[in-house]
Amino acid sequence: MSRITVENVTRRYGDVRAVDGVSLDVAHGDFLVLLGPSGCGKSTLLRMIAGLVSPSDGRVLVDGNDVTEAPARDRDLAMVFQSYALYPHLTVERNIGFPLRARKQRKADIRRRVAEVADILDLGALLDRRPRALSGGQRQRVALGRALVRDPGAFLMDEPLSNLDAQLRTATRTEITELHRRLGRTFVYVTHDQVEAMTMATSVAVLNRGRLEQLGTPTEVYDTPASAFVAGFLGSPPMNLLDAEIVSRDGRLHAVAEGVDVPLGLDHPSHEGEQVRRPAILGVRPEHLSLRPAADAGPAPEAGGVPNGSAPNGSAPNGGAPNGGAPAATLRGSVRSIENLGSEEIAHCRVGAAEVAVRARRPAGFTVGEAVVLTVRPEHTHLFDRESGRRLVWQPDRDPQVPAARVPVAT
Amino acid sequence: MTNFDAPETPGGRSRTRVVVGHLTLALLGLACVFPIYWLYATSLRRPNDVYEVSPLPWPLSVDSYRTAIDEVDVLRLLLNTTVVAVLTALGQLLTSLLAAYAFAAWNFPLKRVLYLAFVGSWLVPFQVAMLPNYVLLHQLGLLNTLSGVIVPNIVSGLGVLLLRQHLDSFPKELLEAARMDGRSSWSTLWMVVVPNLRAALAALGILLLVNAWNEYFWPALVLQRHNDVLQLGIRSFMSATEGDDWGPLTATAGLACLPIFIIYLLLQRHVVSGFVRSGLR
Repeated sequence: MSRITVENVTRRYGDVRAVDGVSLDVAHGDFLVLLGPSGCGKSTLLRMIAGLVSPSDGRVLVDGNDVTEAPARDRDLAMVFQSYALYPHLTVERNIGFPLRARKQRKADIRRRVAEVADILDLGALLDRRPRALSGGQRQRVALGRALVRDPGAFLMDEPLSNLDAQLRTATRTEITELHRRLGRTFVYVTHDQVEAMTMATSVAVLNRGRLEQLGTPTEVYDTPASAFVAGFLGSPPMNLLDAEIVSRDGRLHAVAEGVDVPLGLDHPSHEGEQVRRPAILGVRPEHLSLRPAADAGPAPEAGGVPNGSAPNGSAPNGGAPNGGAPAATLRGSVRSIENLGSEEIAHCRVGAAEVAVRARRPAGFTVGEAVVLTVRPEHTHLFDRESGRRLVWQPDRDPQVPAARVPVAT
Repeated sequence: MTNFDAPETPGGRSRTRVVVGHLTLALLGLACVFPIYWLYATSLRRPNDVYEVSPLPWPLSVDSYRTAIDEVDVLRLLLNTTVVAVLTALGQLLTSLLAAYAFAAWNFPLKRVLYLAFVGSWLVPFQVAMLPNYVLLHQLGLLNTLSGVIVPNIVSGLGVLLLRQHLDSFPKELLEAARMDGRSSWSTLWMVVVPNLRAALAALGILLLVNAWNEYFWPALVLQRHNDVLQLGIRSFMSATEGDDWGPLTATAGLACLPIFIIYLLLQRHVVSGFVRSGLR
């Protein structure tokens, strides 16, 4: 049983803040993935939870007990390292039994427990081998076994799959998820691989430059990214982000840029001569764009051109009241290149000065250089503040007498 | 014709290079081996033949060895020398290991300064430390004892330097894994670090042992009243008045070399691999 709480933890190395005021609460049985690009502080955060690095500020609690100053061995946590860190001079059996021997358990108990763990991980035939005689996948399982053998309150994993080839990684991913389900223990898992985060996690903490950008379920971080960073980090290809301006036209709000005119589906009863202008970043996922040749574009078509039949995420990215009847937004540009991914194609288009990726079912039937129109439903658009990068949410005006307040407000 | 059978690869020109190279190496090897051969050759000549220059000592005789054993207690000296060399080397190995582990595994204030001080102690010439050490031994009453030979040499700057190089390349995640698995720093050292550092420790151990074994000047200074170690036993065959007694002298020297030869032959693989690896890592 382990609930892990991190309170306002900071770690400084000289002038650099590797981790900057991060707070997290991992409930018992949760699978939390710390996700971020390399150098974002996720490993440092994990090491602080483990007790291998001490925080410069803040507290770490396990089951409500402050363990900030407690040595690693008193925290009831086990860790799987990126390099596996198997002891080269010991056999698989002694590697797995190492934590138990360190705790001075009886030999017979150790042997029994090692056999159990070896059974779970299918390592029975390898017990007499040394790490150097094992394949990458086997080493990885031994490292898991060494963590498992102690039956700790929580498992900490530092990119445990990054040294495996793609096929093995997929298989091991499933195994770890299965293990988590079976053990019901808390897992804190560090990765830069969003696929691992999306498939394994019950909650994802996205970190950037030592700061927590967003904490939420995989669906939440994907569907309603809290910042332009999260939007641009998740997804492959990630969300298209374009500099745009929010303007009010004919009583409605639009996001406009060169080649871009996206009705946001929000009413903005315009007063005589009033024009709202606000710089923002417009975000659209590649799978929410649909491609049409520019020739038969004409006026903006009816909404509903969602390609692949993929379900719209259903959330209301613009927060308040998306107007379902809004016309689909249009982006005009030309195809620059097409990537064939087998099951689908990614078309890279140039819209104004920006590059926009579109995911389309094969064969999309477009050629490089062709002029195209991209459409998206208003509820599939995201807006972020240009300065802070935070998500913009529509907040209905409390005082209709003050029309100037009717602009999107940064969260 | 040359176009066909002599491309600029392992052909003619490089073959002469190989021959010349091997000849040079062979000559250098001979130059190294010859004095040792001559030492043993002289020790095996009959006492009247020690000034002979025939390359083969014939007829063979062990008279010189007999004289040596009669005049100085070679076995006791051998034992003393072994004790001194082994204890010195072990002491140096242990202190080097502890210091290098501390330098490699932790960050602490003044780490760089302390490390420089350690390495600096290796750069200080022996003659500079000799007098203060001698005075200290005198005050401690350790002059003319084997302890007096051992104690001042129990720390080796070179050992710290070499082991730290090895430990710096030791995977830090292994140390962290041991911490997570519940080991203290002390038991991590013995359960994880030392077993994986065996080659380096063997190589350094042999180096330190040979150094301690060959030490002449410091024992000569401390053990003034009696020649308690082999290297000083050799001295007793040198005399200003009667000339040097070459037969027993070479015999004792020959005996003094034997243990090191044996150790080297037994552990040659470790020594070579330890030093080669320390260079490659």
